[in-house]
Amino acid sequence: MKKLMTLFAAVLLVGTLAHSALAAGDTLAEVKKKGVLVVGVKDSLPPFGYIDEKTREIVGYDIDFCKYIAKKLGVKLELKPVTSASRMPQLEEGNIDIIAATMTKNPERAKQIDFSYTYFLTGQKFITPKGKVRSLKDLAGKKIGTAKGSTSEQNVKAAIPTATVLSFDDYPQAFLALQQGKVAAVTTDESILAGILGKAPNKNKFEIPNIQISNEPYGLGMRKGDTNFVKFVDKTLLEMERNGEARKIFERWFGPKTSTPLKRTFKITADK
Amino acid sequence: MLNYHFDWSIITSGKYFEWLVSGVKVTLELSAISIVFAFVLGLLLAVLRMSQVKPVRYIALAYLEFFRNTPLLVQIFFWYFGSYKILPQAVNDWLNNTNFEFAAAVIALSIYTSAFIAEDIRSGILSIPKEQMEAARSAGFSYLRSMQYIILPQAVRITVPPLVNQFLNLAKNSSLAMTIGVAELTYQARQVESYTFKGFEAFGAATVVYLVISSSITFLVYQYDRRVLNPHKAA
Repeated sequence: MKKLMTLFAAVLLVGTLAHSALAAGDTLAEVKKKGVLVVGVKDSLPPFGYIDEKTREIVGYDIDFCKYIAKKLGVKLELKPVTSASRMPQLEEGNIDIIAATMTKNPERAKQIDFSYTYFLTGQKFITPKGKVRSLKDLAGKKIGTAKGSTSEQNVKAAIPTATVLSFDDYPQAFLALQQGKVAAVTTDESILAGILGKAPNKNKFEIPNIQISNEPYGLGMRKGDTNFVKFVDKTLLEMERNGEARKIFERWFGPKTSTPLKRTFKITADK
Repeated sequence: MLNYHFDWSIITSGKYFEWLVSGVKVTLELSAISIVFAFVLGLLLAVLRMSQVKPVRYIALAYLEFFRNTPLLVQIFFWYFGSYKILPQAVNDWLNNTNFEFAAAVIALSIYTSAFIAEDIRSGILSIPKEQMEAARSAGFSYLRSMQYIILPQAVRITVPPLVNQFLNLAKNSSLAMTIGVAELTYQARQVESYTFKGFEAFGAATVVYLVISSSITFLVYQYDRRVLNPHKAA
């Protein structure tokens, strides 16, 4: 038993050492040295990050931002699928260099990692069966579906305390539960809901009522204290706003001709 | 050198502690109910599997092979999401208004584990000399009564160690219920982690609780074995 404990402690120690060594590094220099930028992205969340049916490659709004950053760095881009729950541990363990996975900036997360300027702004809403929900009261005491490890879950608990929140592994699963009547609504950011609805086969049965329960500014996530890298990414984002690239990417994924038309109500600014 | 600041206080009191406690309750309920169903079902299946009537034997065999050889996670999704397509709408509406997540998890865990338990009990039955069955039959017991009074009471005693294994597996497998939104211990630990980013503490606490649950099951079953089933075996 004593030997086992020693072994356990040793493993733990090695783990933490490796961990701190990585966290202290300078990602900007490292990425340039290894010639590749590894980005954690969503792969089942249109139009932010999803697998294109024809090319079998991950594409989307988040990916286009990373492409630009990688190009600016003069390195190759490598995409690694992450989930809402896995993205922060993956970053902290050094498996990825930056998170571009519809990540809302909030104070708790900002204690663990550093965020870039806001590159997308949305708000949390609901998908419901058509005509069923007019206000938050209609959802009181009901089951509401969302994905694990997301801010959506925390916001909805605060907005409707009587509701039961069912957290699934991802949003497509939560939407399946809605289609089968297992939950009364699926809640998360409007942009994601629009993407889910856009891809649904029976979309005329559902709607997104105009009930917003929070503001969700998305930021790119980087390791805490990685100042050089954060500065570089922020500078690049501002440049993309100035030269119209950011607007072009928005129009590509949320323009009037897409299946998820939204209005661009924000500009990338130095918003820290 | 340590870059990670351990903070056990967040999970030993307050909101996050309550979450974990509620998770422990759900895990205990889920495991206890499923263990009872799985054992009863497993016993029944073992007997059917050894029936003299061929079709009954084959149906039981098909059931065992089917549920033993498909992943539990797939079975959980099947009962929760897949059942929707084959059930009438009225039944679906009724199920959706109940705690169907929990029920689907109990169904999946019981049926899956019962297949393993049945095989363990069958091997217990096979280890009883067949003269006993012959003696029981010639004494006028029917096949089922011979099973009930003569064979099974002995077989179950022999089967205690493998049964404990199956109970432990079931208790640990219950963590898969989190995938369909059952707020059991692993689900709550993950919630605590995503709210506090204290993954080591949250899953550390969950690990300790699973250890306690598993050791308690082992202890209780062996106590029952020593005191009730096999008093002569006690050293």
